[in-house]
Formats: sequence, structure tokens, C-alpha cells
Amino acid sequence: MRHPKRSLTAGSIAALIVGAVVLGAAVYIMVNGLGLNPDLDFGAGAYYYADIPDYQQTLDWDSYTARLPFVVYLLLFLAWGFLMWCIWKRLDRKQ
Amino acid sequence: MSAKTSKILHTEDWLAVWIGFIIIAVGLVAVLTGAFDFSALKFKTWTVGEQLTGAAAAKAVPLGQQLASGAFWLKMLLTAAVLGVLFTVGAKLTGEKVSRFVPAFVGVFLLSVVVRLVSAEFTLNRYLEWAFWALIVGMLISNTVGTPKWLKPAVRTEFYIKTGLVVMGFSVLFSNIAKFGLYGLGIAWMVTPVVILFMWWFGTKVLKMDNKPLVITMASATSVCGTSAAIASGAASNCKKDDLTMTISISIIFTVLMMVFEPLIIRAFGMSPIMGGALIGGTVDSTGAVAVAGSVLGGEAEKAAVLVKMIQNILIGFIAFFVALFFATRVDRKSGQKVGAGEIWTRFPKFIIGFFVASLVASFVVLPLAGADQVKAVNGVLDQYKNWCFVLAFVSIGLDTNFRDIARQMKGGKPLWLYIVGQTFNIVLTFAMVWFLLSGAVFPIPTLD
Repeated sequence: MRHPKRSLTAGSIAALIVGAVVLGAAVYIMVNGLGLNPDLDFGAGAYYYADIPDYQQTLDWDSYTARLPFVVYLLLFLAWGFLMWCIWKRLDRKQ
Repeated sequence: MSAKTSKILHTEDWLAVWIGFIIIAVGLVAVLTGAFDFSALKFKTWTVGEQLTGAAAAKAVPLGQQLASGAFWLKMLLTAAVLGVLFTVGAKLTGEKVSRFVPAFVGVFLLSVVVRLVSAEFTLNRYLEWAFWALIVGMLISNTVGTPKWLKPAVRTEFYIKTGLVVMGFSVLFSNIAKFGLYGLGIAWMVTPVVILFMWWFGTKVLKMDNKPLVITMASATSVCGTSAAIASGAASNCKKDDLTMTISISIIFTVLMMVFEPLIIRAFGMSPIMGGALIGGTVDSTGAVAVAGSVLGGEAEKAAVLVKMIQNILIGFIAFFVALFFATRVDRKSGQKVGAGEIWTRFPKFIIGFFVASLVASFVVLPLAGADQVKAVNGVLDQYKNWCFVLAFVSIGLDTNFRDIARQMKGGKPLWLYIVGQTFNIVLTFAMVWFLLSGAVFPIPTLD
């Protein structure tokens, strides 16, 4: 089967240019070791919090004391989530 | 055996749940009793001539020294044995021949060892890590010599991903939603779903992308926490391997840039450290990059960045759950078709249930009973098993991916524009929320100890 000939659109040319610039900048950053902190034994490659070496000691995640009971945060969390779920369904219906 | 029992013992979805639970259970027993060491192999950082200083220099170990250590080989054997036995039993229960699966698994595992070795090199480890190198190693093989036929029985991307996600569920602690009070909830939780909805609308309506799993995977990676969120949402929406490859590649590359440039821009604008840190936590994808970028702005900024990111980390479970529900009830149904509870149950990916149960057990059973330090110690062990499962999965994706398929998926650069526009919206909205909550204009500025 022959595939239809595809032409380059302005969007795809712009994407190619942006992609090349972003890739070039990322390579430059990596080659020159930019943005790292010598006191921290990790970088962007630690995707998830538990990937950070000794994260138990490294991450200071008890530095704020919440003032309201946990249940208040939980209810707000669930209420906002429910609202967003309803909006998502509505958004999908309109399409 | 009834059909129901047969399903929970013979489908990949359920088997991923059981394997994940076994790994979590053994990890728990090992840490809580202290009876044995269950931690999996992890290469220490090594260098190819980089001049290191500070903590990085202290922790780097020459590769030769690592390979000469007996403990290293013992850990390698333990990791291979645990994963090999569990996945072989799983494969057998799904109808695979053990004699075909075992050599194939050994092959894929050895490729994964190469990936983890390469990604432990100092520079590669700091910026890219395993996801990127697993895809590269797999694709190099599949697009040059071709994936050998004998390797294919163990090229089981979904099986490894689902198992890794169940293990990951244990580290998703609900109690973290209150870690930064209303400030954190506002910055992380109010913004995240709005960005997802915006990207869904922009991708499906404006860019007219008909690949909805790609749109939602990209949206989750952008708004939640990059690679981990992409894996969870991608599995929940049943996205194609190419979609996941593309999303993760874009997210990883942009994270490198954002880690470097975002603190510089924040400083140039004269933003306060707490505002700058919260902005970084809400917008930079990977958790490691968040901590590093935050530290550039000082201790307070680093704390704020980590607190916001911690809350985003727990959103992975909720987002994946609702993505799975949305796709089961709306995207996968035929026009005009009503989907009943039974049908929703049939379509719903069961590993999401395993993921949620693991998270609930960690948050509301183990955490109150054993304490935060023990839970952290357990997660320190489980994280490496999660990573090994994901590395096996990403090597499998690479072995199954054709460069031409990825180029075809780019469709006029639409996925790239979706990421760029979505991330820009994310930054603007997060900044607005950060200003509203942390500038002192409306609410008192919190103190971080």
C-alpha cells in the first residue's frame, strides 16, 4: 500500500526548529554540567521522590506544621477533585 | 475453577497486583523485623573523568571497585532471582512456556543491567537516568540488528509497568496532602487538574488530536510529576508504547532546561524564595530537579519546592484512578452506548486497584502503626524494585519500537506543541496561585522551619 505524500506544514517546521533548539540546549547543559548543586547527590534523573538517594534525610518535608485537622484538607481535596471530574465529563460531552 | 477465580489468577492485570503485593509484603517484613536485607541492586555513581566536589565526590565509587565487590554480585543475584521467579510464574499463569520465557527474561534483565550501569554514570545520572537509556538501548537493538525472536517472550511492557506501579503505590502517602497546609493544597491540587483539563481541551479540540491516550499521558506528565505520572496515566489509559516514549522523552529534555533556567528567571524577577520555591515545585517535572532547582534559591525555597512536589507526587494515584475510570466509561464506549457497572468493572484496569490498596495500606495501616521512619525505610527498599520493573518495561518498549513509528506519531509536531502550550499554561496558573497564597497580599506568609 502506498502512503499519501506528506507535506511539511508551518507547525511541523516550527516544531522541528524548536525541538532542535531545545535538544541542543539540553546537550549543552549536560556537557557543561550546568544547574547542579555539588552538595546534592542527584539531579533531574531522580524522577520520583523515593529515587533521591537517602531521601529520608535529604528531603526536608516536615518543615511546615499544618494548622487545620487532616480531615479538613481531605474534604477540600475530595471536593475539588469531584468538581474537576464533573467539569471533565462536561468538557468531553461538548466535543 | 470458576471464571472469576480463573481471571484473578490468569490475567496479566491481576497477576501484576499479586506480584506487586508479594514484593511489598517481603519488603515490609525485611525492614520491620530487620531479619534480612531485601534491597535490590543499585549501581553507585561512577565517573568517566568528571571533576567532582562536595557530596557528589564523596559518594562516587569507581566502576571497577563496584564490580569487584562480592556484595554487588549478591545483590545482582537477589534482584534477578526475585524478579525472575515472580515474572516467570506470572508468565506461566498467563499461558507462556517457561522454557521460552526464562532465557528471554535473562536477556531482557541483562540489557536492563547495562541500562542501569550506563545511567549511573555521573553526568547521565544527574540529567537523564534510566527511562531515557532504557529506551535508547532497546531502540538501538530493534532498529539495527532487530529484536531476536528468542527475546520476545519476555518483552512484556505492560506486565512490568503494572507491577512497578503497584509497588510504587506503597510510597504514595495520603497524609502528605496536609504537609503544606492550605498553601500546598492550593498550589499543587487546585492547579494540577485545571492544567490537565486545559491540555485535554487544547489537545482534543484545538490541535484536534484523535489520540486521546497520548493527550492525557502528556497532560499528566506536564501537570503532575513527569515520568512517574506519565507511566501511571499511560497505563491507566492504555496508551501505545510510542505515546509513552514520546511523552517521557519530551518531559525529560524539558526538565533539564527548566531545572537550569527557572531559578535564574525567578531570581531575575526578584521573587521571594518561598514563592520561587513553590513555583518550581509546581512546575518542574521531576522531583530531583525540583529539589536541585529550589536549592539554587536557598534553603527556604528548597523546602517550599519539595513540599509542593510531595503533594503532587501523591496526586499520581488519584489522577491514574480517574483517568482509568474516564477511559472505561467514556472514551472506550461506542457512541450512544450506556455503560453499566459490570461493564465498567470489566474494562477498569485492575492494577489501579492494587496501586490504590498499596497506597491505602501504607497511609492508614503501616504509617500509624510503624511510624514515618519505618515507612520511609520500606520505601527505600521498594523504590529499587519499582525502578527495576520500570527499566524492564522501558527496555521492552525500546525493543518493540520503530523509529519510523515515532516519527509518524509526531503528526506535525502536535505533541510538542501540546507540551509547550500546556507547560506555559501550568507556569502562568501556578504563578498566579503562588502570588495569591504566598505573596502576603492576601494571606499571611507561612514560616518554614
